[in-house]
Amino acid sequence: MTDLLTLPFLVTCAKFGLAFIPLMLLPFLIWGERKGASLIQDRIGPNRAAIPLMGGLRMFGFIHNMSDGIKLFFKESFVPAHAHKFWYFLAPMIPIIIAMLAPSVIPWFAPMTVQGPSGWVSISGQNLDADAGVLVLFALSGLSVYGVVLGSWASNSKYALLGGMRASAMMVSYEVSMGLSAAGIFLLAGSFGLTQIVEWQGSNPFLWGWALQPVGFVLFLVSLFAETGRPPFDVAEGESEIVAGYFVEYSAVRFALYYMGEYAHIVIASALVSTLFLGGYQVPFLPTETIRANLGVVGGGVLALLGLGVGAISLKIRRWARIYTTLKASDAADRAREYGFLATVSSVKAVVLLVSALAVGFLVRTTPAEVAGDLVHWPLWVNAATALVQLGVLLVKTAIICWVFIWVRWTLPRFRYDQIMSLGWKVMLNVALVNLLITALVAKLLVGGR
Amino acid sequence: MKVITPEGDKVELLTVNIGPSHPATHGALRNFVALDGETIVASVPEIGYLHRGFEKMVERGTYQQVLPYTDRLNYCSAILNNIGFCHAAETMFGVEIPERATTLRVLLGELSRVIDHLVCVGAALVDLGALTNYWYFFNPREDIYKIWEKLSGARLTNAFTRVGGLYRDTYPGFEDEVRAVLPVVENAIGEVLKLVEHNRIFLDRTRGVAAISAERAIAYGWTGPCLRATGVDRDLRKDEPYMGYDTYDFQTVVGSTGDTYDRLMVRMFEMLESISICRQALDRLRPGPVNTSDARLSLPGQDKAYHDMEALINHFKLVYEGVRPPAGEYYGATEAGNGELGFLIVSDGTGRPYRVKVRPPCFTQFSAYHEMVEGGLVADSVACLSSLNIVAGELDR
Repeated sequence: MTDLLTLPFLVTCAKFGLAFIPLMLLPFLIWGERKGASLIQDRIGPNRAAIPLMGGLRMFGFIHNMSDGIKLFFKESFVPAHAHKFWYFLAPMIPIIIAMLAPSVIPWFAPMTVQGPSGWVSISGQNLDADAGVLVLFALSGLSVYGVVLGSWASNSKYALLGGMRASAMMVSYEVSMGLSAAGIFLLAGSFGLTQIVEWQGSNPFLWGWALQPVGFVLFLVSLFAETGRPPFDVAEGESEIVAGYFVEYSAVRFALYYMGEYAHIVIASALVSTLFLGGYQVPFLPTETIRANLGVVGGGVLALLGLGVGAISLKIRRWARIYTTLKASDAADRAREYGFLATVSSVKAVVLLVSALAVGFLVRTTPAEVAGDLVHWPLWVNAATALVQLGVLLVKTAIICWVFIWVRWTLPRFRYDQIMSLGWKVMLNVALVNLLITALVAKLLVGGR
Repeated sequence: MKVITPEGDKVELLTVNIGPSHPATHGALRNFVALDGETIVASVPEIGYLHRGFEKMVERGTYQQVLPYTDRLNYCSAILNNIGFCHAAETMFGVEIPERATTLRVLLGELSRVIDHLVCVGAALVDLGALTNYWYFFNPREDIYKIWEKLSGARLTNAFTRVGGLYRDTYPGFEDEVRAVLPVVENAIGEVLKLVEHNRIFLDRTRGVAAISAERAIAYGWTGPCLRATGVDRDLRKDEPYMGYDTYDFQTVVGSTGDTYDRLMVRMFEMLESISICRQALDRLRPGPVNTSDARLSLPGQDKAYHDMEALINHFKLVYEGVRPPAGEYYGATEAGNGELGFLIVSDGTGRPYRVKVRPPCFTQFSAYHEMVEGGLVADSVACLSSLNIVAGELDR
C-alpha cells in the first residue's frame, strides 16, 4: 500500500480533476452565450433571476444558470408513451459521458518530472498519454453522434427522426474533412500525441499551427462548427424547420443532459483548436523552462495582470452603479446596493491580487533541485505553479475560441441540409486534401521529411 | 405511407404535419406534407385555424364599430387596415376628408407599412436562422410603437381612423418624433442589408427558392410586394391612386425572378420608399381639422350638441343608428402591407352593413403555397412561407 501512495501516483490521481474542466466551464459558457447574444443584438439580456439576499443578488444574469439547472432537474421527467424506453433513457447519457472522457487526451500543462521512490518519473499534462493521442479524441467525438441518432430514433417521432437523419449524415461527412484538415499539423509535428504537437509548436505565437497551417486552421474550425452542431450548421436542431430536431421529445433532466453535452462539446472543441493550432498550453514567448526558472517574475506578472483586470471590472461596476441611480428604475436602490457590494468585493480581490503579485514577484526565487545530464528537475511546487499558469493560458485561448463560436452563431443564417453536404464533400474535403498534399510536398522539399 | 406513382412505382413517403403549432407558422397554419427524404412531394395547406368570423361579426355593429375588428386582420399593420376600410366606406358616402386627415393617413399608413415589412423580413430572417436581424428590426419598430401608443393609446390594435377622418389629431411633438424615428429605421435597414446582402448562406438559402412566374402569380390573383417580386409593376398607390398618392414622389420596387430573395428584398427597399413618402407627408402637414364637417358622418361638437336641438338629434341618430350610407354595393381597395386589401360592402341603407366581404392579400398568396413548395426541401418551405408574409389574422379573418 505504501508503494502506491507515492508522489507520482498522487499527482496522477490529482490530474483526474482535469476531466471536470469542460463541465466547470459550462455555466460561464452559457452565461457568455446569453450575454454575448444580447451584446450583439442590442438588448440587455437575462438579469432577472436573483438570490434573495440584500434585496436580490443578480450577478449580471449569472443566477439564471442556477435557476435553469434547478428547474430542469426538478421537473417531471416525462417520457412519451410511444418512445422506446431503454434507448430513450440511454441516449442523453452518451454526450455527457463523452464530455467527461474527451478532456483526458488534451494536455492542460507541460510534462513535469516528479521524484518517485525509484527515481524521477515524467508525468504528462494529459490523463491519457497514448500514442494515438488526438485519434482518441476524434473517435470519441465520432461516438457523440450515437447520442443524437439513438435519441432521435428512440423518441419515435417524425421531427426527431428527421433531425437524427440530418445529424448523422452531417457529422459523418464532417468527420472526414476534420481529420484531413488537421492532418497537415500531424505531418509537420510528426506525431499524433497532443503533448508532442504542442511542444513542437514552441512558444513563439508566429510559429504556431495557425501560422504554418492557415488553411487547415480555418477548415478545422469550420468542421468543428459542424461537428458540434452549432449554427450555422445547426440543421439537426433546425428550430424553425423541424422544431427541435433530435431532442424534441426530451424534457427535464434528459434535455439538460443533451444541452450540457452540447456546450461541453464546444468547450472541448475549443480546447482542441487551441491545442492544435494556437500553441496549446504554451505561454506566448515564455517556454516552459523559462517560466520554471523565473517563476517569481512570471507568477507576479500573471497575478498583476489578473489584479488589474479585476480592478478594471470593479471600476466598470461602479460606473454602472452610478448610471443606474440616474435611471427611473423601481429597483434602483437595490441595484445600487448590489453593484456597490460587487464592486467592493472586486476591489478587495484586485488589491489582494496586486499585493500577492508584488509578494510573489519579490519573494519567490527558484533554483533547479537537481540537474541530471541535460534534464533539469524542479521541485513539485514549481512544477505545479507552472502547470497552473499554463492551464490558465490554455483556458484563455479556449475562451477566445468559445467566443468565436458564440459570435458566429449570432451572425450567420442557417445552412440548408443539402448545402451543408455539398459544402462538406465538394469544397472542404477537396481543399483539405490539396492543403495536405501541398503541406506534404513543402515539408518533404524543405525539411527532407521524416 | 405507401404510394403508387403514376408510373406504377411504389414509394414510401413520410407524412408530416408542419403546423398548426410550429415555430415557423407564425400564427396558426397547417401544412400537411408528404416527404421523400427531405423533399416535399406533396403539400396540402389548410387554413381556418384563426377564423373568428370577422365578416359576420361586423354585420351586427355600425360602420364605425367595424374599425376595431379591422385592427385584427393584419395585426402587424393595423392602421393600414383601418385606412382600407375607411377608404371603402367613404366611397359609399362620396365624402372628401380634410387635407390634414388625408396627409396624416398617408403618413401613418406608410409608417405602418414600414412596421409590417420590418416584422415580415425580421421574422423571415429568424426562420432562416439569422436571429440577430430580428432585434435590429424590432428596436426601430418599438420606437414607432411608442409613437402609436402616444397617438392612439394602443400599440397593436390602434383603430385610429374613423369613417370621415381620424379618431383625433396628433399630440404636440408628434412630427419631431416621427422625423427622429425615420433615420433609425433607415439605419436598421442598412445594418441588416450589411449582414445579409453579400452573405453567401443567405443567398444560397433564398435565391431561386420557391420561385413563381409572373403568369402563375397573376393567375392566382397575387398583389402587393409578392407580385412585384415576380417583376410585375403593380401598385395600387400608383395605378389607382387614392388619398393623393399620385402627388407623392416615390418608386415602385420591382423584382425579377419572384423567388424568396426577391420577395424579401422588395420589402426591404419598399421600406426606404415608404420613409421617403413619410418625409414628404411631414413636409405637407398643415394644421386643420381631421374630421369631415359632413353632418352625415361626424358628430357635432359638444357645445353644439348641448345648445342646438338639431345638433342633439344628429348626435343621437349618429350614435344610436350609426352613419347611414345609401343602399348599394361598393368596393374599395387600398395597398396594404401585403397587397391589395379590398372591402366589398353591401349596404341596405341602414346604419349597419348588410354584408362585408374582405379581399385579404394573404389569401391569394397562400393559395399558391403548395405549388411553390412541392419539389423543394422542408427548409425551403419555411423560407417561402415567411417571405410570403402570411398573417393568419388576415388569411382566416
